[in-house]
Amino acid sequence: MHHKSQMSGLAQRLLRLCLYPLSLVFFIGSVQAAEGGMALHLSQQSTEKVALDVGLVIFNPGIPPDASTHSKLGIFPEIRKSEAKFMPVILRQVLINSGAWGVVRVLPEPLEASELLLTGKILQSNGLRLAIQVQVHDASGRRWLDKVYVDETTASDYPVTGGGDPYMDLYRQIANELLTLKQSLSGKQQQDIRNVALMRYASSLSPEVFGDYLARTEGGMYKLARLPADGDPMMARVDRIRNQEYLFIDTVDEQYAKLYEEMAPTYNLWREYGREQALYTATYQDRVAQRERRGRRGTYAAMEQTYDAYKWSKIHEQDLDDLALGFNNEVAPTVMEVSGKVFRLNGTLDSQYTEWRNILREIFVLETGLTP
Amino acid sequence: MNTPNLKFKLVAVLLSSCLALASCSGGGSSRKKTELQGQSSESVDFAGSWELDYSQSDNIQTKLDSMARELRRDAERRAQGSNQGAISVGGSGYNSAPSVIGLARMSDLITRSPLLKIEQSEHEIKVKREENFALGCEFYAGQYSSIETPLGTEICGWNGRQMVFKILLPEGLSIQHVMTLASYGGKLNIATTVVSDQVSYPFTLNRVYNRFVPGASGYSCTVTLTKGKVCTTKAK
Repeated sequence: MHHKSQMSGLAQRLLRLCLYPLSLVFFIGSVQAAEGGMALHLSQQSTEKVALDVGLVIFNPGIPPDASTHSKLGIFPEIRKSEAKFMPVILRQVLINSGAWGVVRVLPEPLEASELLLTGKILQSNGLRLAIQVQVHDASGRRWLDKVYVDETTASDYPVTGGGDPYMDLYRQIANELLTLKQSLSGKQQQDIRNVALMRYASSLSPEVFGDYLARTEGGMYKLARLPADGDPMMARVDRIRNQEYLFIDTVDEQYAKLYEEMAPTYNLWREYGREQALYTATYQDRVAQRERRGRRGTYAAMEQTYDAYKWSKIHEQDLDDLALGFNNEVAPTVMEVSGKVFRLNGTLDSQYTEWRNILREIFVLETGLTP
Repeated sequence: MNTPNLKFKLVAVLLSSCLALASCSGGGSSRKKTELQGQSSESVDFAGSWELDYSQSDNIQTKLDSMARELRRDAERRAQGSNQGAISVGGSGYNSAPSVIGLARMSDLITRSPLLKIEQSEHEIKVKREENFALGCEFYAGQYSSIETPLGTEICGWNGRQMVFKILLPEGLSIQHVMTLASYGGKLNIATTVVSDQVSYPFTLNRVYNRFVPGASGYSCTVTLTKGKVCTTKAK
């Protein structure tokens, strides 16, 4: 798996546009050769017209609120926060490579009107083991996945080279299972999901105008009651506003991709050290049992040996701790342009996103004269 | 070792003439129990850079002589009481000369860091010691901190205005550091006590540190993952 080309949503859309005519002629092979144990399944019809767009929300870092437990659990909060942004970028690229989806975006926060929305929570992450709780549902509310994915590394996973990842099998497993679920749906079912997503977005902008287009089943799922007429000017505005929102998300997405590129070499080294340290600790007792004593119990030589073993394990552990501080996750201000006016947004990405959504809703209200 | 080995050898001869007797007493010093807490009873801030003041710190030879006298008195009392006077030159086992001298040397080894850099926040303190691992403690109300690993157990917390670190190591070795700040904040005392289950007395060394302003040396260093320790001539 390679991540050399981290495509933005815009680039993804352009690529799809270019590839669409080719899809009538070519079919892509069903399985991609894998570096790890698990192969990535590729869609037979990678550029089909109704390919669902996927939103990957940055993961819940899974940091317990009780700070006193972090050390015992081996959690470095700043690194976890970075991992929560890092991992969806890898998964996005794997989903893109599967060729089964429309635009795959990493979102700063859930966009409920997404055609397919994936959320994740990091349960465990270190150089030895990764465990993520993944939930996926579509715009109609249908649950696709709710599962814990676990992967463990081996010595051959390190050092990480060529844009790979030691847990690539885990990401491929998620992508493969999503592809299988997608393939179980008919083209019409997928088109319905897209329509529901659009109407849910429209309804979020103006419930009084678009609320009647949707209905809820007894199970709480969304279904289409009717669709606006073709050429409806209000829908054109909704579409434009949604594209502006996607434009922001694509800009944010590029920042996540940039974060990934900047962080990957250091982060991979960190995980490699982490694995070494975990193994060192796990095998310590065996080595103690096997080592030769330097002197009789209570002598300086024996005490020095005991102390040195502890001292070097601590120095090793603290080196990792210090290196964790090197993760600087600053967020650059984002500049966006809409209706000829430039907005400069500051703060964290999720706060920028909220600000941007509010601006878009204000514009929609101004243009339509409707109350939100 | 700062102190010449010759001095240790002289003390060893002295010790060996009495330690075998003392070893029979089986007595240890009465040790005050330290009640550790999650928070200091008063606000004490150790943060800053500290350099060792050799002139005010304990002299290890003096401390060893003092311990030898204690052991000799114990041995004499024991001999008078039981009318036994076995002397073991260079013996082994409980309270043997190699064990007592070893304890003193260990204390010196553990406390020889000439420079400290202490970082402290509301719930955490980290004492970075030159040429040694950092002592760290997370403290929260109502609880002291304890971490167990196969290599040893760490317990830490506040005892009034003092920060206490205890390290319990395999084979009967334990270390306690008690940090005390002078009232005006310019001096720091670290009392390090090393205990061996092979010696009846703990060995305590006091190291006094003076606060200083870092960066005066004209360079500063930081640790990075990809480049290791990187130093710059620009002072922080």
